[in-house]
Order: sequence, then structure tokens, then C-alpha cells
Amino acid sequence: MNMNLMSKGAEPRVCDIMVCAMARLLRDEDRVFHGVSSQMPMVAMMLARHMHAPNLVHLNIPGGVNPASIKKPSYSSAGAELLASGEAYFPLEHVFDLSMRGGLDVAFLGGVQFDVTGNVNASVIGDYHKPKVRLPGGAGSAVLIPTAKRAIIWRTKHDKRTFVEKVDFVTTRGNLWKIVTNLCVFEFKNGSLYLDSIHPTSSLEEVAANTGFPLRYDEIRYTPLPTEREMSLLKQIDPFDYRAKEM
Amino acid sequence: MSSKIMSLEEAAGLVRDGDRISFGGNVLHRAPMAMVRELARQRRKNLRIVKTAGAHDIDLLCAVGCVESVDAGFVSYETEFGLAMHYRKAVEGGRVIGNEHACYTVICALRAAAAGAPFMPVAGLKAGDLLQVADYFRVIQDPFSGEPITVVKAIVPDVAVVHVQEADEQGNAVIYGPKFEDALMSRAARKVIVTTEKIVPRSKIRMRPDLVDIPGFLVSAVVHAPRGAAPCSVEKAYDADWKAIERFKKLKAEEMDIYLQEYELKDRGFKAGGLR
Repeated sequence: MNMNLMSKGAEPRVCDIMVCAMARLLRDEDRVFHGVSSQMPMVAMMLARHMHAPNLVHLNIPGGVNPASIKKPSYSSAGAELLASGEAYFPLEHVFDLSMRGGLDVAFLGGVQFDVTGNVNASVIGDYHKPKVRLPGGAGSAVLIPTAKRAIIWRTKHDKRTFVEKVDFVTTRGNLWKIVTNLCVFEFKNGSLYLDSIHPTSSLEEVAANTGFPLRYDEIRYTPLPTEREMSLLKQIDPFDYRAKEM
Repeated sequence: MSSKIMSLEEAAGLVRDGDRISFGGNVLHRAPMAMVRELARQRRKNLRIVKTAGAHDIDLLCAVGCVESVDAGFVSYETEFGLAMHYRKAVEGGRVIGNEHACYTVICALRAAAAGAPFMPVAGLKAGDLLQVADYFRVIQDPFSGEPITVVKAIVPDVAVVHVQEADEQGNAVIYGPKFEDALMSRAARKVIVTTEKIVPRSKIRMRPDLVDIPGFLVSAVVHAPRGAAPCSVEKAYDADWKAIERFKKLKAEEMDIYLQEYELKDRGFKAGGLR
């Protein structure tokens, strides 16, 4: 732990660092979509709306535009609550259409395997027709990563099986922008994944040891820790700690 | 006007083995679980399931061997419950064909069916191995611009099963809260089965016909199925039953009858004092 980067107060956890890093990638007035099993992006979007992006447009599967709250217990990131506290109904198929015509700024997506050239695999390990492992599937990735202006992937397990030289199957590729993991942030630029920043809870050695390709980076940077304001907002926005569910 | 109300068992009889069947709802929300369980109890064979994002419905039918193929963008429970292990093992074991879609390509395939068209362009599907391995995607030349464009083959479900909050005896159905792709699949399918929390009088529906998501003339059967989506959620009625899902997730494929029996009386409409 790089102690001089530490803010005062309760020690931020990795999930707090990840959510704040994701929130800071969002800009005011961005139209942003998250799907199912997406508690971290949901919290990050809410945090950005409370901080620097009050006019961000929060879009989701049930179709609630700009839900006022994400506090309901036993929360689902695809449930009716997001619509019930929203300001308008704009369901999934309309979000996809929006992205197809170039109107979606950011999509948050998952994935299981990523390679140095920006390919994303959420489909299978092994052969597609006789898979060794059948993964859940790319959900919207195959159409959103090519069409959203900036696609952000988050992943709470950073290891050599996840970050590989070459993916088993290319579910999609395209406008991948950042990958936020439990160890670091990658940026996709000039056709390659670059190490963008290392979380202060990790180290260059740890990232390198858990990545299946040689790291490329312009300089060693650390992900800024959550500020006190961010931490206190997170407690208000997400009192049931949905952001920690995936950790 | 004759009533389309049927028992769950009768309505399940409208589904034939080998049918292409689409289920309404999304992941753990408003999935038509009473009908899914009935199909599982009857051990229907070779169902070809269509859904944008499924979870418990697809997992259960894969566990009891009712499924030939699954066309879906995503099959998994939500974060806490992890992967759909029965689906996963069935595909890995070669017993079920997993046809991967982007959720949107399922929507486009249903839109093609709803419009009576053989295929539908999908503007965003531009890259990746799915274009090579999936025979339901083709890259063709846009006849107007000459540019390449991916198209997806129409999916015409033989049956769509949709669970709603309210329907009348003719099948005019109202969905409260997120509607997901349910109205679309009712237009795309050859037959529609509506299972409903409440049967409401026609007079109530006629007060607000603008709220009807699925008009009765498209519907073949109406099943009164209170808690018919449980353990999944229904807006304004009940939340997902996380404990029941947890119990299900612990069962092995050969123990599915424990789960199916737990719901049998409730699903089939028996309660203390006789038939509902």
C-alpha cells in the first residue's frame, strides 16, 4: 500500500477505488448504459451524477431513465426499481437502437477474457461448438462495444486466465476504451492495451505477475484514492454496499 | 365472446415437443416460471428456447433435459447467484446447443418475425468470431450504398409465454413496470400463452385500453397463475425470492423433482378447500 496516497478517514477498499475510478471516467451529459449483474457501474453512475456529472443520463435494462435512487434492499441491476424511481421509460431495445445510430456515449460491459489487441471474450473457453467452458454470453457487448463511443469494461478478477496473449474466442472488439480491474486500469489505444494506472492497493509487480502479456505503459501512475467526499457520498448513495457484491 | 382461460396443464398442451419457445421477462424478473415448471414436470422434449437474457427458466429446463437449443444473449443469474450451472453443463456436455446472440440480435430477429420479414439488418454487429461461427448471422452488401451490413435471420417462435400482472378472459394483457421484450415476442410468435397474476373483468380493461400491451386477439390461452413468476420477481406484486433461488441453486440435476414438487400444488391452482 502506497501510504502517502492514502486519504484520511476509513480506508477505502478495492471496490471503492474501482467505483470511483469508473465514476471519474464519466463526463457531464454523457448518455451511459449498464446491463444486468452490473452493481458497480450502477453505483459509479450514481456517484458521477452526484459529483461532476449532474446531467449524465443513466440508462438501464428495465428502462428507467435517471433513477432517483438505487437504495432498495436486495437490489437488482435489472429490476423494476430502476424504472419505478426513474423520470421516463426508455427500455433496452430503445437503448440498443440509440447506440446503433451513434447516440450512446458510454456502455459498461463485462467479459471474461481480454487480449493485448483489445479483443473481448464473453462466450466460450475452447471451441465454440464444443466448448470446454460455456460462459454466460456477451449480452449486449457484440453490438455495443462497436457502437458506443466509449466502452468501459470492469472485472473484479484480474489474473493470467483473464488477461491473455490471445483470447479463445472474439465475442467482439471495437470502441473499447478502458478496463477497470481490481488491480489497475488499462486503456486501449493505438491498437493495444496500455497500463493506465495502478491501484494504490496493488503494485506494478502484482499487475505484471497477474497479466498474461508483457505490460506496456507510458509512465507509472497510481489510481487516485477516493476522496473523503466520494467516500461519504458512496455511503449515502449505496448504503447496502452493492458495490462490494462482486468482490 | 368465449373465454380463453385454461388450466396450466391444458395450456402447456399447446406447446409441442421440438417447438421454438420464447419466454417473457428478463433474468430474474417476470419470467413465466409456473409454465416453465409445468413443461419441466411434463418432461417436454427438444424445446428450442429464445430469450434475450435468461436465468432460472433456461437453467431449470436444461437441468431436466427438455432443451435442444438456446438462442440468447446472456444466460446467468444475477451477481449473487453466479452462473447458470445446469445450462452451462448441458452445453459443455453437448446435450444443448448454445446459440450465442447479442441481446439486440434476438430483438432484431423477433422484429423481423413480427414484420414478416426473413431477416433484419443489425447495424452494430461488425466484428468478431460470431460472424463466422453462427449460421444465423450473414454479412451482405447493402444494395443501396454497397457497404457491408450484418443481417440476422428471423426467429419465429412457435409459442411465446408471457407472465403479466393483469389479463381479462380474452387475453387482453397489461404489464406494469418494465415490459422487456414481451410485447415484441407476442407479435413475433405463432401462438401466445398469457399467464397472469389476476384475471380482471373485461370492463376494467375497457376503461384503459391504451394500457393493454398484448391484445387478446393475439392470445391463444390465458392461465390464472398467482405467483406464477416466483421465485422471480413481479413488479407491484412480489420481489424475487432469494432464498428459494439459493435452495434451487444447491440442487443437482437429478434432484429437480424436489423443487418441482414444492411448487406443484401452487402452480396447478390447488389450495386448501379445493380448486381455485
